[in-house]
Amino acid sequence: MFDYDVIIVGGGHAGTEAAAMSARLKASTLLITSNLDTIGHMSCNPAIGGIAKGTVVREVDALGGAMGRATDRATIQFRMLNRSKGPAVWAPRAQCDRTLYRRAIRTLLEQFPALQLTQGMVSRLLLDGDQVRGVESADGRRFSARAVIITAGTFLRGRIHLGTETQIPAGRAGDQPSIEMAQAIEDLGLIVSRFKTGTPPRIDGRTVDWSKVERQDGDGDGYRFSFYERMALPRQVACWITWAGEPVKEIIRRHLKESALYGGAISGRGPRYCPSVEDKIVKFPDAKRHQVFLEPEGLDTQELYVNGLSTSLPVPVQLEFLHAVPGLERARMTRAGYAIEYDYYPPSQLTPWLETKAVERLFFAGQINGTTGYEEAAGQGVVAGINAVRRLKGEEPVVFGRDDAYIGVLVDDLVTRGVDEPYRLFTSRSEFRMLLRQDNALRRLLPLAERLALLSDEERRTAERRLGEEEQVLEAARQTTITPSQADPVLVGTGTRLGQPERVAVVAKRPGAGLGRLLQAAGVACPYGDDVLAAAEIEIKYDGYLAREREAAARLAELAAFALPFDLPYLEFRSLATEARQKLDRIRPASLAQAARVPGISPSDLHNLVIETARWRRRVA
Amino acid sequence: MLTDPIVALATPPGRSAVALIRLSGRGVFALAARCLAPFRAEPARTVFRARLRHPASGEAIDDALACCFPGPHSYTGEDLVEISTHGGLVVPGAAVAALVAGGARPAEAGEFTRRAVLNGKMDLLQAEATADLIDAGAPVQRRRALQQLERGLSGRLEALRGEILDLEALIAYEIDFPEEDAGPVAPDLVRGAWCVARERVAGLLATAPEGERLREGALCVIAGRPNAGKSSLFNALLGTERAIVTEIPGTTRDAIEAPAVIAGFPFRLVDTAGLRDSQDRVEKIGIEVSRRYLGAADLVVFCEEGVVRGASSDPVREEFLAHVRAPVVVVHTKVDLDQSDGPTVRPAVVSVSAVTGAGLEELKRRLAAEAFGRLLALGDVEPVVTRARHRAALERALAELDGFQAARSAGVDAAAAATHLRAAVTALDDLIGVVTPDEVLDRVFASFCVGK
Repeated sequence: MFDYDVIIVGGGHAGTEAAAMSARLKASTLLITSNLDTIGHMSCNPAIGGIAKGTVVREVDALGGAMGRATDRATIQFRMLNRSKGPAVWAPRAQCDRTLYRRAIRTLLEQFPALQLTQGMVSRLLLDGDQVRGVESADGRRFSARAVIITAGTFLRGRIHLGTETQIPAGRAGDQPSIEMAQAIEDLGLIVSRFKTGTPPRIDGRTVDWSKVERQDGDGDGYRFSFYERMALPRQVACWITWAGEPVKEIIRRHLKESALYGGAISGRGPRYCPSVEDKIVKFPDAKRHQVFLEPEGLDTQELYVNGLSTSLPVPVQLEFLHAVPGLERARMTRAGYAIEYDYYPPSQLTPWLETKAVERLFFAGQINGTTGYEEAAGQGVVAGINAVRRLKGEEPVVFGRDDAYIGVLVDDLVTRGVDEPYRLFTSRSEFRMLLRQDNALRRLLPLAERLALLSDEERRTAERRLGEEEQVLEAARQTTITPSQADPVLVGTGTRLGQPERVAVVAKRPGAGLGRLLQAAGVACPYGDDVLAAAEIEIKYDGYLAREREAAARLAELAAFALPFDLPYLEFRSLATEARQKLDRIRPASLAQAARVPGISPSDLHNLVIETARWRRRVA
Repeated sequence: MLTDPIVALATPPGRSAVALIRLSGRGVFALAARCLAPFRAEPARTVFRARLRHPASGEAIDDALACCFPGPHSYTGEDLVEISTHGGLVVPGAAVAALVAGGARPAEAGEFTRRAVLNGKMDLLQAEATADLIDAGAPVQRRRALQQLERGLSGRLEALRGEILDLEALIAYEIDFPEEDAGPVAPDLVRGAWCVARERVAGLLATAPEGERLREGALCVIAGRPNAGKSSLFNALLGTERAIVTEIPGTTRDAIEAPAVIAGFPFRLVDTAGLRDSQDRVEKIGIEVSRRYLGAADLVVFCEEGVVRGASSDPVREEFLAHVRAPVVVVHTKVDLDQSDGPTVRPAVVSVSAVTGAGLEELKRRLAAEAFGRLLALGDVEPVVTRARHRAALERALAELDGFQAARSAGVDAAAAATHLRAAVTALDDLIGVVTPDEVLDRVFASFCVGK
């Protein structure tokens, strides 16, 4: 007998979503973490969403995850990024109150009867051969389980750097690192590697000269991440923009050797898209100035997060360059920025459902797979949580397609291509930017959520009602005819006029023509939310483009339909290049489509792989 | 798609007794049954005679022989039908068109062999050896030149893909990094990158007609009035007595085609019946054939007797020249018979004696310059598109690049317009391996300081 079906080690954004999925699937679930008070803690910037990431939040929400709902309860400023670039790449981003977010996550998790939370530092994995059997905590308690999900974040052999002199073993500022656990995983024979990431200093808002910084307001409170509930948002506040110019550059250049990164103290590789201010100045010496965003940490504090000035310089230098930023001349630093180095496990050691290939029913999710970002962690948590339960029930794993969700892009990139820097999502990572949108996440994923029985009856009704409304708007647009006299006032901004009566759906294709206003002008009542209208409008406007991407997705599906058995003896396939044999042997792709994405696999390798697979099948049959 | 029905002419185009058409893929027996009556899939690998009709119009196209090969026991490993029709310029084309109307897709170059490889009927080495064998049919120098050109082409295609990726990186930056220091990308930058990429694709594509001629041979048709000395010139260019030469006008009644290497370049020379109003039925058919060859010609040599050049406006020549779209080289033949010391001929005209060989080398240079002028100008270093497959991919890429610009001008937003760039890159993927989105991001990170 086992104490639990599923144990999740870690209470960050991967762990909490894994727990939510496992509990929704009615598996008896334990979430164990070193500090229950920091469940759902945002270790870095106090914001959720952004480019591609915002879409992941909605995907997680569509499947019943906690992130979207918690964000709605903690949003203190909302902005839709990319508004000018077309709705296909609109990216919702919410500045959050850290405390409200953490509390919301805790509250949401405690609603699941199947989920228990406990505090403890896991030090050992319990194994039976190559199967996982549970975990043991540092205080000697043993918890047995049929599946274990590790979501340890940056805690595994975490080491904080402040300049070249100061190094502190820590999971993040203020938390102990996890040393024994790292050893336990290494003992399984998994390859370990190191990454680094960083965080900027934080300052006391009462010491900012507000006359020298630019105010940035949010979009108002219309938008919600969650498809299932519409909570009232907390009070909305502003963010502030200033610049790091020549004086800052000069100070940093002068102290560059004292930086942990440039002084040689850090060996791990950092993310290119989230560079430290040292990196920016060294790599782009011609840039005159760099933007700095002052973001409130919460409603009940004056502390500000100085976004854009991530650094591993010694504390006195941080203070010196902060004072060279306009508006921060007299700023008091509340917390110093730092770089952190940590263990991760190259994710090519995982299956496309995030189970380790080495140990059965042991799953990894989140930053220990070499990703960065709360949203990327949450997406992996969902995949691991769902599949841990499916594996112990003996069911087929659920693999998200690259055309299904950014979650699919993320996991496929990780397990197929591996990582050589902390991985973050962008729309550019997807072949199907137009299909994977924030507005249609529910439409894309509801069928799966229903098939897996992830949702309550009430949630299902809410989702179906919403999709039904989108259908009604589409139907109305396709059926209703609009006359020139009705349409022309709406078309004023587009520089076009209507020659003769036409279907609303046709007129709405014109750039700049709003579907909602056209329907209204044509006399159709539209008692729907903006999000419903926007979703329908995108389907109409981008009709042709969407069809093209769907065609491309169908071609991919054909390759994906060619399954590659897990136990193919790749090393024996002599018609494949040696490099291809070794890579395929390590990755063990699930389909020809996945094999095609393995770096270094040539088209002729693929051809030969098909032949070899067919031969192998005949041989074993 | 890997298994959709495809069709192609398996024998080379041109005059021949028979032509072989291959049809392969899912459901080709049902597809063939729509065009062939009677149709017999059973017994397998047994030839039957059938009427080939256009499935929509019902128009009879040919009396054909057909044979079904159920997969996996076929060349491709799929269900396959082979249809033998009469050869020539028209029937095989019409037959392929009928099968396309019946639901097949024209095969891409090498697609039958690719499917054979995919289905394990042939390994890649065999497939490559087949291709090598075809190349080895050409003279050694040409083969070597071709290999060099191929390498050059891969390099150029990679550079080209790079240009498109650079352009996509600008759009990716706009979409993925909206809050960065550099601010939005200047429209001029996008426009400039687009111009560079488009020019490159268009430039490469412009070499395709001559490049493909390099593989197939330029179709050079010798035409002119009866007894103008066409057959003598044909024989002289070939270096063999291939065509019968007499002093009787109208001796050549059928077109004769023969491969020839002229000034180092491959040609398909065609000797044709002289053009005149004839009452002779056989000769009339020959003249009709000549006209059809003229329509397909890459280059036309128009022969005139040098001694009769006094007639400055020749209505037959003028009418003829008005109807030919290919470049025309006018040749004054039989200059050995011309003893007059009249005015020298115009420079556009080459004077040749097939008997003495006078002027023959100059004519050969002219023919090479007309059919392969662009290649000659490019020299051996510049890459050239020599395959229909390459041209098709470049044409698609060009169309997508134009689609991108059209979308931008029409106010379509960045994300939608960028789908054209993805498609343009995909079009090149077949030629030069798979591109990964990482490459786009690499370019963004290399050129912009990002990191809010």
